[in-house]
Amino acid sequence: MEKLLEVKDLAVSFQTFFGEVEAVRGVSFHVNKKETVALVGESGCGKSVTASSIMQLLPMPPAFYKSGQILFEGEDIIKKSEKEMQQIRGSQISMIFQDPMTSLNPTMKIGKQIVEGLVKNKKLSPSEAEKKAIDMLNLVSVPQPEKRIKQYPHEFSGGMRQRVMIAIAMVSNPKLLIADEPTTALDVTVQAQILDLMKEIQNQFDTSIILITHDLGVVADMSDRVIVMYAGQLMEEGTVYEIFKNPKHPYTRKLLGSVPRLDMDRSESLHSIEGTPPDLYAPPKGCPFFDRCDEAMVICKEYMPEREYHTDTHYSCCWLNHPMAKSVAEGSVV
Amino acid sequence: MVEPLVSVRNIKKYFDVGEGELKAVDDVSFDIYPKETFGLVGESGCGKSTAARTIIRLYEPTDGQMFFEGVNIYELSRHEMQDMRRNFQMIFQDPYASLNPRMTVEEIVSEPFKVHHIYDNSKERRDRVIQLLELVGLNEEHSLRFPHEFSGGQRQRIGIARALALNPKFIVCDEPISALDVSIQAQVVNLLKRLQDELGLTYLFIAHDLSMVRYISDRVGVMYLGHLAEVASSEELYDNPIHPYTKALLSAIPIPDPEIQRSRRRIILEGDVPSPINPEDNCRFADRCPYAIKICKEVAPELEEIEKDHFVACHRANDM
Repeated sequence: MEKLLEVKDLAVSFQTFFGEVEAVRGVSFHVNKKETVALVGESGCGKSVTASSIMQLLPMPPAFYKSGQILFEGEDIIKKSEKEMQQIRGSQISMIFQDPMTSLNPTMKIGKQIVEGLVKNKKLSPSEAEKKAIDMLNLVSVPQPEKRIKQYPHEFSGGMRQRVMIAIAMVSNPKLLIADEPTTALDVTVQAQILDLMKEIQNQFDTSIILITHDLGVVADMSDRVIVMYAGQLMEEGTVYEIFKNPKHPYTRKLLGSVPRLDMDRSESLHSIEGTPPDLYAPPKGCPFFDRCDEAMVICKEYMPEREYHTDTHYSCCWLNHPMAKSVAEGSVV
Repeated sequence: MVEPLVSVRNIKKYFDVGEGELKAVDDVSFDIYPKETFGLVGESGCGKSTAARTIIRLYEPTDGQMFFEGVNIYELSRHEMQDMRRNFQMIFQDPYASLNPRMTVEEIVSEPFKVHHIYDNSKERRDRVIQLLELVGLNEEHSLRFPHEFSGGQRQRIGIARALALNPKFIVCDEPISALDVSIQAQVVNLLKRLQDELGLTYLFIAHDLSMVRYISDRVGVMYLGHLAEVASSEELYDNPIHPYTKALLSAIPIPDPEIQRSRRRIILEGDVPSPINPEDNCRFADRCPYAIKICKEVAPELEEIEKDHFVACHRANDM
C-alpha cells in the first residue's frame, strides 16, 4: 500500500504565560491511500493539535514545532511557506470541523462559501462557480440546491450545515480529508446520515480520511486502522479489529471498558478510569498513563516504553508487553 | 402495588414566540416509582429538558398536573412550593456554567442550607458540607477552593454534592455527563449509581447518549417533538422497540465493536426534525415515518399499553 501521509516524530508545544505546554510529544504514524485512520483519545490528548499541524493551522507563536517531519506525498509540509501551504490546503488536504455553526461564515451565502477557495485558486467565472456550487450540494444530498446556494448558514439545520462543510472540503477533490469530531455536535440519527455520506464520498473519490473522535462506536463503524493517543503520545496502533478484539495497552482496554454498549448486560459495571490525565506543563518522563494504570510497575514511572510489535500492523507502548516482562509474569527468573 | 413517587399527567409547556406557539412539551404523562431511574431520551429540541424543568416547576406549566407523593405541586402556593422544593433537586449539564465562579466549594454546597434556613450554627453546617463532599468522593481540603481549580468531572461532583444537600428524594439529572470525557463519564455514572443505592434516590435521567441511558435506567421514555413516543423497561425498549422512531434511533447508535457494527442494518431517517412551532395535531413523526398511513397524518395517537408495561403512541403499533 502506498503511503499518502507520513508523520515522523512530530512534537508540538505551546508557549504560554505559565510555561511550555507539550501538547504533542513525538508522534509517528502514516496514512495510506484510500484508507480511514481514526485518532482516538480524551480531550487534551493532542489529537486535534496533531491534525491542525498537518494543515499548518496552528497560530505560531504561541505554537511551535519542536521536532519532526510531516511528509505529504514525500514532501515535508513543515518546510513549506505560507503561500505554498495555501495551494495545498483545500486542494490537497481539507478539513471538516466539529462545530458546523461556528466554522461557516454567517454573513456569506452558502454557494459563495463552497466555491470560495476554488474561485481564488482557479479563477472560475461566476456562472461556472454557481454551477460547481450546485453540483457540490447535489453531491452531499442537500435538497433544492439551486435555492439553497443563495441562503445563509442560519437557514440550515445542524446536519445540513455539516453537509455544506463536507461540500466545501471536497470541492477541489483533495487526497486527504481530516475530519475533526465531525459528528460530535449532531444527534445520532443525523450522525448516521453524515457517516454514510462520508463513506460514499470516500468510495467515489478514493479520499484518505483521518478521523478524529472520542466516540468509539463511530471508530468501529468507519475506520480501517485506529491510533490511540494519550497525553500527547501514541499508546497503541492497529487495525480496527486488532484494537477492538485484542487491545494490548491497559489504557485502550480501560477506554473500551468505560463506555456502555447497547448489547451489554446492565448488571455489568462500567470500568471507570480513576484520576485525570497528566499535566502537560510538566509531562511525566515515564509512561504518562502510569498513575491511572492498575498494572503499573516501577519501571513505568521512570522510562517510556518503546513500541512493541504484536503483528505487522499492531503495536503498543507498554512495558507489560515487553518480552522480558512476559518472562516475569510467567514466573521465570530474570 | 407500589405507588409512584412522581406522577406526571398531561403536562404541556408552550412558549410564545414571534411566529406562533412553540409546543415544546405537548401532553406528556408518565410515572416514576421510588428508587428507580427513569431515562428520557430524544434528539435535541424534542423537549426532554423542558419536560424535566416543567416537572419540577422551574418553568410554570401551560397545563397539566404533577403529583409528588400524591400532592399536585402545580396547585401549591409560592410559600408551600418552597418547602416542597427540598424534595427535588437538579444536576445540570454544564459543570462550568452551573457553579458560581466567585464562590468557594463550601459556599456553593451550603447555599441550599441558607435558602432553607437549616443549621444556624456554622460549625454544624461545615461538618455537613464536608460529609457531603466525602460522599461524592471529594474531601475537606477541596472545600475552600474555587470552581476553576477543578476538572470537569470534579465540578460535576460538586454539583452533585449541592443537589444532595437537602436530602432530596427525587433528582433530575439533565445531561449530567454529556460535557465530560468518556473515562470521566463512567466515574460520574458509577457515583450516581452508588448514591442511589446508599440514599434510596429516584432519578429522572436525561441524555442523548442512548447507550448510557440504557445502562443507567430501569425504565426509559422516548420523546419526539414534544410527544412521548414510547415508554418501556430499559431491556424491553432496547430489545423490542415498537415505535418506528425508536427503531430508527436505536439502529443509528454505533456499537463499539467493528464486527457487530458493520453487520448491522441502519434505518436512515430522511430529512430533519420538523419545527415545533405551530405543529399540526397529528402524529409528529408521520412525515418521516416509512410506515405512515392516512390516519397518522390526521390524528395524534394516544400512548397505549401494547404489551405489559410497554406503552407506545403509534396507530400502527400492532402491525409492527
